[in-house]
Amino acid sequence: MKEEKQYENNPLTPHLQIYRWHISSLLSITHRIITVVNLFAITLICFWIISLYFGPTSYEAIHLFLKSYFGKFFIISLCWSFSFHVLNEIRHLAWDLGYGFDLKVSKITGLITIFGSFVLTVLIYLIGKNLF
Amino acid sequence: MHISTKKWLFQKYSSAILVPLMIWFIINLVSIFQSEYSSLIIFFTTQPSSLLFSTFLIIAFFFLSLTVSEIFEDYIHNEKIKNVANKLLFIFAIIMPLITILTIFNLEI
Repeated sequence: MKEEKQYENNPLTPHLQIYRWHISSLLSITHRIITVVNLFAITLICFWIISLYFGPTSYEAIHLFLKSYFGKFFIISLCWSFSFHVLNEIRHLAWDLGYGFDLKVSKITGLITIFGSFVLTVLIYLIGKNLF
Repeated sequence: MHISTKKWLFQKYSSAILVPLMIWFIINLVSIFQSEYSSLIIFFTTQPSSLLFSTFLIIAFFFLSLTVSEIFEDYIHNEKIKNVANKLLFIFAIIMPLITILTIFNLEI
């Protein structure tokens, strides 16, 4: 009975309350949060496309939102979450091929992922808006 | 091959395919998100954007559902709740892109 209760109270992975934060743990948990956020974002994009089917009138409200500052902020945030996901996914794929396991290299690639995601967001926005 | 190994391999292959598609999609999203209704219809109904976007949706939902199911694996203790959550997730990951792709192919200029 006591053992069962102890099992119930065990912390869930990745033991956020126990370990000290490192770049690797920060990226790992951010990656998981971003995965869920991107799933919601892509679902919203699906609803956006489905709204097109119902004609220009039903699309108008979404169009007004996307033209507002909130709409721009939403799209730029999406750019960042996708950029972060892409860069961290490339980092994971490199690990799977056996590269970048060294602690120092892992920290450097982690920092590149964090700062690179912001740079990539700006680049994507500029390319998308034909500002290059 | 163990089911977990298969799942891991599917996740990795889909991830490798998803990276270029995600970059393509987000660049195009930035260029079209403020466009008028007719421009959007043209974008989603002409090739190659229609085909690329449909592929992006299928791979993205496939990959994200596998990844979110891994999160369920780590955070949900109760086996029954975990199984229900996984089943709902997989049904959602099939239905959502399917409806959207059907919509795209039924859009009229």
